[in-house]
Amino acid sequence: MSGATSGTDVIASGSSRVGRPPGETADDDSPTDRLRNPAVLGVVLATLSYLSVFYHVTDVVGGVVPLVAEVVIAVGVGLVAATRLRERIAVGVAVVGFAAALGVYVASVPESQRALFTVGRLAQDLLALSSGLSVLRLINAGTWALSLAPVPTFVVAYLAGRGRHVWAATVAASTTGFFVLTSDAGVAAALGGAVGATTAVGLAGLAGAGRRGLVAQWDTVVVIVTTMVLVTSLVTVVPGGGNTVVPGSSPSVESSLVSNNDRVSVLGSITLSPSVRFTVESDQPAYWRVGTYDRYTGGGWVRTGDASPYRDRQDGPPGETVELEQSYTVRTAFDAIPAANAPVQISGETRSVTQVTSNGGFAPATTLAENETYTVVSERPSATTAELRRAGVDYPDGLRQRYTGLPGSTPDRVGERTQTVIEEAGAETPYDAAIAIERYLESTKEYSLDVQNPDGNIADSFLFEMDAGYCTYYATTMVTMLRTQGLPARFATGYTSGQRVAEDEYVVRGLDSHAWVEVYFPEVGWVQFDPTPAADRSDTEQSTLEEAREGDASNVDAAGSSEGVYTTQSTFESTAVSGDGGSSDPNQAGAIASPGRAVTGTTPPGGLLGTAAGRETGNGTTTSAGGDDGDGGLPSERDTALGVIALLGALAGARRAGLTARGYRFLWTAYQPATDDTTVATERAYRRLEAVAEREYRPREPGETPRQYVDSVVRRGLDERAREVADAYERAHYGHGVSRATADDTVATVDRLVRSRIPVVRRFA
Amino acid sequence: MSDSDVDTDGSERTALPVDEAASLVERVSDNVADVIVGHDEAIEDVLVTVLARGHLLLEDVPGVGKTMLARSIARSVDCEFKRVQFTPDLLPADVTGTNVFDQQSQEFEFRAGPVFANVVLGDEINRAPPKTQSALLEAMEEQQVTVDGDTRQLRDPFTVIATQNDVEPGRTYELPMAEIDRFMKKLRLGYPGAGEETEMLERTAGAHPIESLEPVATTEELRRGRQTVGDVELSEPVRSYVTSLANYTRENAQLGVSPRGSIALVRAAQARAVMNGRGYVVPDDIQREARTVFPHRIRPQTGSETGSDVTETAIENVPVE
Repeated sequence: MSGATSGTDVIASGSSRVGRPPGETADDDSPTDRLRNPAVLGVVLATLSYLSVFYHVTDVVGGVVPLVAEVVIAVGVGLVAATRLRERIAVGVAVVGFAAALGVYVASVPESQRALFTVGRLAQDLLALSSGLSVLRLINAGTWALSLAPVPTFVVAYLAGRGRHVWAATVAASTTGFFVLTSDAGVAAALGGAVGATTAVGLAGLAGAGRRGLVAQWDTVVVIVTTMVLVTSLVTVVPGGGNTVVPGSSPSVESSLVSNNDRVSVLGSITLSPSVRFTVESDQPAYWRVGTYDRYTGGGWVRTGDASPYRDRQDGPPGETVELEQSYTVRTAFDAIPAANAPVQISGETRSVTQVTSNGGFAPATTLAENETYTVVSERPSATTAELRRAGVDYPDGLRQRYTGLPGSTPDRVGERTQTVIEEAGAETPYDAAIAIERYLESTKEYSLDVQNPDGNIADSFLFEMDAGYCTYYATTMVTMLRTQGLPARFATGYTSGQRVAEDEYVVRGLDSHAWVEVYFPEVGWVQFDPTPAADRSDTEQSTLEEAREGDASNVDAAGSSEGVYTTQSTFESTAVSGDGGSSDPNQAGAIASPGRAVTGTTPPGGLLGTAAGRETGNGTTTSAGGDDGDGGLPSERDTALGVIALLGALAGARRAGLTARGYRFLWTAYQPATDDTTVATERAYRRLEAVAEREYRPREPGETPRQYVDSVVRRGLDERAREVADAYERAHYGHGVSRATADDTVATVDRLVRSRIPVVRRFA
Repeated sequence: MSDSDVDTDGSERTALPVDEAASLVERVSDNVADVIVGHDEAIEDVLVTVLARGHLLLEDVPGVGKTMLARSIARSVDCEFKRVQFTPDLLPADVTGTNVFDQQSQEFEFRAGPVFANVVLGDEINRAPPKTQSALLEAMEEQQVTVDGDTRQLRDPFTVIATQNDVEPGRTYELPMAEIDRFMKKLRLGYPGAGEETEMLERTAGAHPIESLEPVATTEELRRGRQTVGDVELSEPVRSYVTSLANYTRENAQLGVSPRGSIALVRAAQARAVMNGRGYVVPDDIQREARTVFPHRIRPQTGSETGSDVTETAIENVPVE
């Protein structure tokens, strides 16, 4: 951006002025001068805030170079246009540009999807976007951003070049506002927009009053802006922004899972809820999946594409499958339809509100009521390990593109590390690679719910900087690592099988929420892997549960779950297969921390992938709300920034209120540094005396001589020694100067006078 | 002003130390106070004028002791005193002196006028025509007179105390602003207080005390005292304070104080500092002197205002640094 600005400066100053249009109110003479207006600061800030969103979007889907180039050109063109085009024409250009951008985007959408574009559909989309639908969910988010970014940028540059800073900032802030609605703008970007607009308006107003107005009132603008920043950082109202932070309190559990959002942010510390969410009747234990996500943003997950209403039985996975019927009873108001992998059919009262997501999962259009029941039929891939090894890499069209994308900013070292891991394990097939990565993560990272949310790319941080994390970190990192190798993988959230209370019944609690990985195998379908160390996780969960029970928390148990675990010797062996992670018993046991728990990588009998599934048991996955936790260590960058802003604001406010001047005056009065110049010392001593007398009696009148003033305040009770000070001052200031001794005496006298007036200190004086 | 000055007789003269000069002034003023009752401030003002090489304009009703004041001061410092009563028919030569043809020696002989004295009292100066007035005023300014082409130096010290009678405005020639400007100070003596007048009556019951007034200082001492005044330190803050005061009157009156007025103020303040035993001027000196040096040089904007009012406002509003 800075490059753009300096480049355009040259353009602007080099261009001749082609007449100022009538009604132009800017009091500056040339475009260069207009860009020197302090209000430009606000405009730049507001522009940067929305550009940061565009930048993020293009980064997630690929490179940012085209965007940067585009923005630079748009700014340049805008500034040149400012000197050559009338406003009406410029508005026309912008409108045409906007239409063209939309056209480009529509053209870029694949044929198959384009059929869906109708006027009604477009309107619906627009509505959806402005009510929290992330831009990232657009299938061609990259094209969308690249085609649209230049439009507001051109307009802003044009307006700023015309000296219409307030309008420029308004346009920029509105663009940010749009992203706030789509929930793509984080708190920082939203604030940037608001602060930029406020600064622009404030400074433009002040600059209108000339330099003097600016100098006199700049601190007012600072105070207002700081207040905005601080207030908004404490109370955030960004809808669905997933960025709310209440510092100090860890987010509670799986909110994103439960609400089945279209995005998942990775958080810092989380807590687990022991409340029962639902019970399942199923012949086999499984991971009760809630959602899957295909687009990785570096800081979280987004599901692209739209959901469509459920009509009829879905197509199952391409390979051989085992059908599993599960009956769910929701125990609390619930925003998701948990179902084992590859749900194909749903029946019961929930059916009418069921939607099928673009990833093939089920999601409710409305919140499920307590005690609502439904039955899902899932087709679980039943490929054996050998079959998975043979599956190859012949992925269907589009699938590889959709499930192997990574943010352009993902460091190369992630891929390099993955390569090393795979090579060391001697893995030659995608399946072996997945197992190698899974084991690598299980063995090198500790399980902990108490982590500092890293800045930047989660996977990179977890892989290289963090020692511990929980399922979200493990799963995110594993997907990222797989994708660096071109293997289609996605992020899945949901619940582990929970506590088995009868042969075919499971109680699932909030603490069972979990995140894991699904990897695609040609001719098989999506297969579950779980890189999270299961033992640690289940320990954590169990202790949470016991604490809750001891604390008499409500809704902790259901269907006799408090009576202990139902165990059948047979299960462990019998459930073996079902490639899709269904090893039941280990799960079950895990929840209760049974000693027999599968160690990672030990493939259960039958050679299933189940390993992965084997070890899961509820674990906090997690959710929306992003932020930081109030947990030890150094303050985060955000806290530091807020602190600095608060300090600035406090200083400006203090200056406004005259506190700095008063504070400075106090220090100035209280202490006098030694100096060799007797005249300076004496003069300073007298001024301190005056400061004391001013506080105590009255200030010296303008026409009052030092002698008259001191006489007057001495008559009112000031120490007689003040006269000596005044006398010495007269000699130093008006006469031939004073001797060293006189100067020292004078300073000492004033020191005594001053100190006898400072609370506390006077006790020692 | 240099450290030493050359007297008319060519001998070098050194300045009195400040404390000696201060005691000189005190002696003189005490001495004068024996004669002039109830005008201690006025006595000080006159002495300041004498020390500062200025001239004085007294404006008052007759009979309040103007002449007596001038005479006592002249006598106290052993100075020659002359008085001129200005009348409408007074000619310039009556003031400055004239060349008279001596029949015996067949030569013109200069007969000095009353202006050749150390202290000259010009009584009711506004009664004389302008030509005669200006003869005196030129003498004041130049310290010399020119008669028939011969320039003659006046005495040193030379102080003119002129009086104006403001009770009979008829048949008078009002002094123009330009000439009033040449007087360092303009004073009003005013009536003595009741007690003071009683005391005065008691003193003057027998022989007038002026007859027995003895000199308490020599003219030479007075000259050296004047030298001291010239050496008094005038610091930058004080100088700019004077400038600010003068500027204030220029901005807030129809006619403000001229640079000559500023110079007069500074010299008066120097003399005041010496009287107070100080070798440097403080703003208090300036304020004290401004009250008698400034008003007669100011022509206020409105008729209801006086030069004194403008001066007071200036003192009140101009910040002292």
